[in-house]
Amino acid sequence: MMVFILSFALVTAQENEVTKEYTLWIGGHYTDFTDFSKKVGEYDLGDEDALPELKGSYRFRSGEYLLNIDGHYYDKNNISGRYSQRWADRIKGDIYYRSLVRQEEQDLLGNLSARELIGENPGGKILTHELLDEGADYNTHRREFGGNAEVLISRKNNVRMMAAHRSILKTGDEQKIANSHCFSCHVTSKSAEVDKRTDEFEVGLQADVNDFTFAYKFGYRYFQSRANNASAYYDAAVHPVNGGSGAEFGSRQVFNDTTVVFGTYPETRKFSHKVRAKGKLGKGSFSGSLGYSTTENLNTDVASTAWSGAALYAIPLNSKTRAIARVAGVRYKTDDPFIDLPTFRDGRPGPTYSFDFTRYSSLDRNDFKGSLEIISRLNRTTTVSGLLGYNMIDRHDYPVPDGDDQTTGKLFAQARVKYRKGLKFSARAKYRMEMISDPFTSGRGLFEASGRDAGVGPIPEPFSFIFYWQREALRYQDITIYPTDVHDFDFGLTYRPDNKMSVNFGLKAKFDKNGDLDSLDVEHSMYQPNLALTLTPDPKWSMSAGYTFGHYKSRGPVAVALFDG
Amino acid sequence: MFTDAGGVLHFGSEYAMTDYTSDAHNIYVNATFLPMEKLRMTTTVSYNMSKGEMDQVTMPDITGRLDGNLSHQDFSFDEMHEYSNLEYSIIRLSASLEYLLAQGVTFTADVDYADLTDDQGYVYGDESGSMFMVRTGFRFEF
Repeated sequence: MMVFILSFALVTAQENEVTKEYTLWIGGHYTDFTDFSKKVGEYDLGDEDALPELKGSYRFRSGEYLLNIDGHYYDKNNISGRYSQRWADRIKGDIYYRSLVRQEEQDLLGNLSARELIGENPGGKILTHELLDEGADYNTHRREFGGNAEVLISRKNNVRMMAAHRSILKTGDEQKIANSHCFSCHVTSKSAEVDKRTDEFEVGLQADVNDFTFAYKFGYRYFQSRANNASAYYDAAVHPVNGGSGAEFGSRQVFNDTTVVFGTYPETRKFSHKVRAKGKLGKGSFSGSLGYSTTENLNTDVASTAWSGAALYAIPLNSKTRAIARVAGVRYKTDDPFIDLPTFRDGRPGPTYSFDFTRYSSLDRNDFKGSLEIISRLNRTTTVSGLLGYNMIDRHDYPVPDGDDQTTGKLFAQARVKYRKGLKFSARAKYRMEMISDPFTSGRGLFEASGRDAGVGPIPEPFSFIFYWQREALRYQDITIYPTDVHDFDFGLTYRPDNKMSVNFGLKAKFDKNGDLDSLDVEHSMYQPNLALTLTPDPKWSMSAGYTFGHYKSRGPVAVALFDG
Repeated sequence: MFTDAGGVLHFGSEYAMTDYTSDAHNIYVNATFLPMEKLRMTTTVSYNMSKGEMDQVTMPDITGRLDGNLSHQDFSFDEMHEYSNLEYSIIRLSASLEYLLAQGVTFTADVDYADLTDDQGYVYGDESGSMFMVRTGFRFEF
């Protein structure tokens, strides 16, 4: 801010031609809602009242100095303002503030209602829901302010310093849903306070050395929720049919007949460093970057680190053709925390079990991508390009530690053509295909086999039955929504017979499927045509009209476990 | 024979393939009219209709696998496909007028209207509703 004020003072002290423009709008608005307001007015809060409204702007120009100030007061919760200035290539930056309210709806949980039927009579196994805050009026107020500045430190080597800041504050109320034990037996909803804050800072330095530009940027991000923790009562565990055996069923739960905090937000902190370089290399141009970041959940002391790198080299092959080679890689590694759980059936006669485990992250991976693109201008009207690339994702710990099929390979190719005949007609078409091996797949099976045919055991003595958790061993069948084949098509044309009319037509289509899931034909398709017309018959009239249609289809399995109740 | 903690049988699972389809139509018209030097009028009309639904789920006949033990249960799920039906339409109308009263002084008026019809009230109940907003004021330019 001080830099902006000093530069303004310096400029106004010089003898340049000065232009100033002020605009002020004073008025008011009245909003009225009928029936349910939260969908149609999700971001149009507007109290149902007549309210004053104000807008203003200021433009100042002196030589190579330009200053803009804009502001808009809609109501006390919807305000925006921006201050920006630029002084040639010496100083540029802005400061802004904006706030808005979002109306959030209440999930009525109406679908969470079922009961077992035994013959003609209702059974004891039941799924219920309970709105502890029926009719709650959730809404959140989002405020964001920040700014950025770039200052020329030295003409020699074009040394520049950059700094940026952004803070986001979100307050209000939201819906939180707690699932009592046996998961689907009793679901409750209640209001919870929202009070979140995110702060981001960046500072960087850039300089030119010979034919290269080097830059470094440091980043910091911090997130914290200062809301009071929400808590929920977890029901006393009993047999779902006869309501007895409380001690036995309670010994199988993590929470039983107690009130616990739930749905908390993590306090997180991220540090990042990034270096970049670009310049001429041989007959071509080069750009590249190397980054490192570490993110930590301060509540749990779980941290993750990421290394990333990217490079691009573009070189002309002849006067009409150039080649672009790209490589990029990312390595993610997250701590593997040990999860300590209460012993299953602790203190009860018979077997006990420990479900303690080490949580391996599905985020852990090495991700490498490389591609080569050739772009050629065939003549004055036509440009074609072709791209071929490969992407490899090597997952370290998923679906299971040191398991098979953890490496996803993706071969992709793309062809593009652009045609332009003067200003009257232009067209473009693109086709992209991807062939993917071993896409990300659920580590657990989709189906449960019959317990009578496959071994689940051992049946824990002195019982004559298995426990529900043992049925996990009966699950089979890989499942994923990710495809093994993708075909993507994009076409567009523009016809402009004269400067009074233009017509645009476009068509996007995409089809993908997974052929590695035995008899499960998981596939998706999308078609999206659009037509737009612009007319300006005379200087007094102008009109535009358009139509877009989207058709989306997903095919997948619906699976149901078969057991009594 | 394996049984769960309640002493009843496990019969595995059943499945069927099904499609979920959603369609969205959006049409709009914008017009700007300058009938005289001091007057500028604009209007926008847009209509959006979105619909999503799952095909009927036809589960295989599993009677033979149940050995009569689950005869009291219905595993056909004939109405399952209706759980995810969505159907919205929304029409938006807006019009604005600017009239130059004197050099540097302009009168402005805006009207916005939106009407949403929810034909498949489900997760949040019936979300049908409308909004009307009118705004007037004066703009001063220096």
